Amino acid sequence: MSKFADIQIDPAIVKRAARGDVRAHEIIYRAFAAPVYSICLRFTRVPAQAEDLVQETFIEIMRSIAKFRGEAALGSWIRRIAVSKALMYLRSAWTARGQSLADDWHEVTPGDVASHGVSSRPDVALDLDAALANLPPVSRTIVWLHDVEGFTHKEIAALMGRTESFSKSQLSRAYQRLRPMLATQGEGVRGEGSAVRGY
Amino acid sequence: MICGLTADERDLLQLELNALPEVMPPRAVWHRIRKQAEAEGLIKQRPLSRPMTWHGGLGLAAAVALAALLIPVMTNTPEPGSATVPPVTGPDNAVQVNALRALMVESRQLESDLRSLPAEPKVRQAGTVATISEIEDRIFAIDYQLNDPAIQMTAEEEEIFWRERVRLMKLLVGLRYAQVQRTAF
Repeated sequence: MSKFADIQIDPAIVKRAARGDVRAHEIIYRAFAAPVYSICLRFTRVPAQAEDLVQETFIEIMRSIAKFRGEAALGSWIRRIAVSKALMYLRSAWTARGQSLADDWHEVTPGDVASHGVSSRPDVALDLDAALANLPPVSRTIVWLHDVEGFTHKEIAALMGRTESFSKSQLSRAYQRLRPMLATQGEGVRGEGSAVRGY
Repeated sequence: MICGLTADERDLLQLELNALPEVMPPRAVWHRIRKQAEAEGLIKQRPLSRPMTWHGGLGLAAAVALAALLIPVMTNTPEPGSATVPPVTGPDNAVQVNALRALMVESRQLESDLRSLPAEPKVRQAGTVATISEIEDRIFAIDYQLNDPAIQMTAEEEEIFWRERVRLMKLLVGLRYAQVQRTAF
């Protein structure tokens, strides 16, 4: 699961934020800025756009936090807003180019192999970053939502306004693309006679 | 198999994806957010009088540590104008002040625990370094607000911030301790 779930904020700070206290909001920002920015950066690949999305996400948090009742964890709530903002951006980008969400595989080109941040295994992170960069935005987003954020295909379909089959087929195509890299990474990790896992 | 991954490949992919590092946005992003929030009337507090810098943050952290060190003295000889210990005016306030003092003492103890740990090893796990840096950043932000004379806080507000500081300090000490343990083996 993503790191959103690991971040705890004192409920009293959330209450203060709900009353518009800038200091409480700054604490929430500092706690969640990294996971929000990271998710936006993974989806868009463009730092300037990711920064704009971080801004939109936290402004939305400020607008809505008074309605946050605490039924779900604060991290899950913030993640949902960030994902929604990032998807909205991707949708608008596709719309501007007159394309549908399904047909962006043909324009896949080798992307920038830029690894951001600090990884405990920089070589692997660089390879995986490069492999992700080479996926179309939709597939990259679905891989991230499904395998990192733990969203189900049903949830992804609802978020993207598409069907579950669409989510599954995009993930499948992404896996095909990522498979050669896994073969390199996984030598010595995989055992004999691995079973095929459904998704 | 047509287009699925093997179970091991899938596990490996998820493992590696989850291990990808998180990144903090540039510091200017928060200032942009605050500006927009002020313009839209989403926040009440007036803008801070000066921007936070790493240098300033370190100084403020030291100031908070010093304030915590002075608590026993302040307990014996309370100063009405003190910025860190609110005046005692009634039974409720007395409870709040005690809670605040307890948090300050705990914070001081944690600072002391942190200082007593050996210096960070030369070879460190990058992920841990990033997490430590992030927690320090959050502590600096709290210290800045606790020490800014332009910000008037009630005892209740101070308690919230001190409680958060203690929580973050515990995380920091835990991480640094784990780092030391790893180096030892």
